[in-house]
Amino acid sequence: MVWFSLLYWVWIILGGILIGAGVHFIPVGGAPAAMSQATGVGTGTTMLAAASGLTGLIGAGSAYASSGGNFAYTIVMGGVSAALMISVLAFIANVMYVYGAGVPLASAKVKYDPITKWRQDLYVSRGTEGHGTPMSSFISGIIGAFLAGVGGALVYFALAASYAGISGFNATFGGYPAPYYVSLAAAFAIGIFFLNCVMASYNIGGTIEGFHDPKFRRLPKSIVASLVVSAVGGLFALLIVVMLPGGI
Amino acid sequence: MDPQMMVELGALTLVGAAALIAGVAEDLESDVGSQSNPNSQVQLAPQMGYLHRLYNKAISGEPASYPFYAAIGASTALSVLSVTGNSGLIGVFFALVAGAFVTSLIHGVYATTSYMGRLASQSRFGQPIYLDVLRTHTPVLMAHGFVANFSVLLLSWVLIAQHFSPFPFVVLAFIWGIALGGVGSAVGDVHLGTDRYYQDRPYGSGVNAAHSGSVVRKAESGLRNSIDCAWFCSKFGGPLTGLGFGLVVYLHFWKEVVVTSWWSALAGVIIVVIFVIMNTYLERYSRQRYGTYKEEAEE
Repeated sequence: MVWFSLLYWVWIILGGILIGAGVHFIPVGGAPAAMSQATGVGTGTTMLAAASGLTGLIGAGSAYASSGGNFAYTIVMGGVSAALMISVLAFIANVMYVYGAGVPLASAKVKYDPITKWRQDLYVSRGTEGHGTPMSSFISGIIGAFLAGVGGALVYFALAASYAGISGFNATFGGYPAPYYVSLAAAFAIGIFFLNCVMASYNIGGTIEGFHDPKFRRLPKSIVASLVVSAVGGLFALLIVVMLPGGI
Repeated sequence: MDPQMMVELGALTLVGAAALIAGVAEDLESDVGSQSNPNSQVQLAPQMGYLHRLYNKAISGEPASYPFYAAIGASTALSVLSVTGNSGLIGVFFALVAGAFVTSLIHGVYATTSYMGRLASQSRFGQPIYLDVLRTHTPVLMAHGFVANFSVLLLSWVLIAQHFSPFPFVVLAFIWGIALGGVGSAVGDVHLGTDRYYQDRPYGSGVNAAHSGSVVRKAESGLRNSIDCAWFCSKFGGPLTGLGFGLVVYLHFWKEVVVTSWWSALAGVIIVVIFVIMNTYLERYSRQRYGTYKEEAEE
């Protein structure tokens, strides 16, 4: 007896890989960025990816509900919403660096910005590894958030479509409008999102500036790790329905 | 204009305003409590021989602690609602207040144990535990946390009541808590970490890694405490954080309210492109205005 569609499992694995890959694109400065000591947005790898990717999940959830489960619309809205969140966040943080800390936006990992071709090393203040989110990191962050958002939306779509098919899961609790399967799918999607974010952040180990950072070359290892962890996590998420009333 | 859209835009304005207040209060709370990224400097200071009167609580990163506060508040509010059964405006309002109140109590417990625990572990460096700092700062950060959490609960409730999101209340509050913590830690902390903690260093430069831990310990009058830092950061860091989180929440739903279906994806892409263009101008402005730190040796 097959309790779940194999395709949904593949989507969860693919979504996990996209989340893990997306985290590598997102420019993360970590704690040093708050002292303008490192290029990137000043918060942890996992947390920044989760903040943008899960905002994408809200977009994907609304899109899934409003379109009646349209696959393409759900995942595109997930990606676009996440990219929107990180572009606002990185821009406002840059306003803070320029007007609050009085530093130009610069990267210490490359001499010239790969996109704008602007000189970088002269604008890095003494004893720091760059500050703010310059253009190539900014674009990299948008790409990363888009990938992470699409990945999160894929996971959510697979889980929601899988749970919605179970009898009783379309019911609602009291006067509450959201059916059970939305809650369950959102909770498990957040879980799988965090699994992959944490795997990727161990791979990055601290800070990363984006696709031009030498650490970006570690990406293939992360993809393998994401594949394994999403396969196991996704299997549990899909098989959990067996244990719930009305599961079989 | 479609009347339904007008109602939705009105609700969205309320949501944006609540998000703005949440952002401001969240950042100021993290300044009073010295949570998140700049806490690394406060934590390091006694080890470098700089004893201080700053509050020191790193319960966890802001994007980790705020979703849990929000989730606790949302669960409490739902419990209160299920007991009172009053789903009218007043009933919901007081349920959200009750949720935020319970959250701030838990926040206070965490803050107290965190302050005592962290400073007790630094006794080998001679760092005293100031009970007056604990007594004066803890209620202030609980109050800021209350405002931030109430605003997150309010905006999540309005989003659900207006059917902006199908997600359940607790999950939605949880996710917006992560986003709030992310914005607060990425934007507001820079003002505290780069500027306020290192005010004796020249303005307009990143903090040299060699100076890590040498935070400013003297205030305009007397010794500096963390409430002074919140006063300073309320001038720029706090409001900018509020603007950031307000924009994140407002633009996220604006693109889904004003246009529908695939047009909202297109609207999202256009907004992203606008931010990329604005960032290009900002980067060019900063380079032209501030100039280079070192001379070009040879090309």
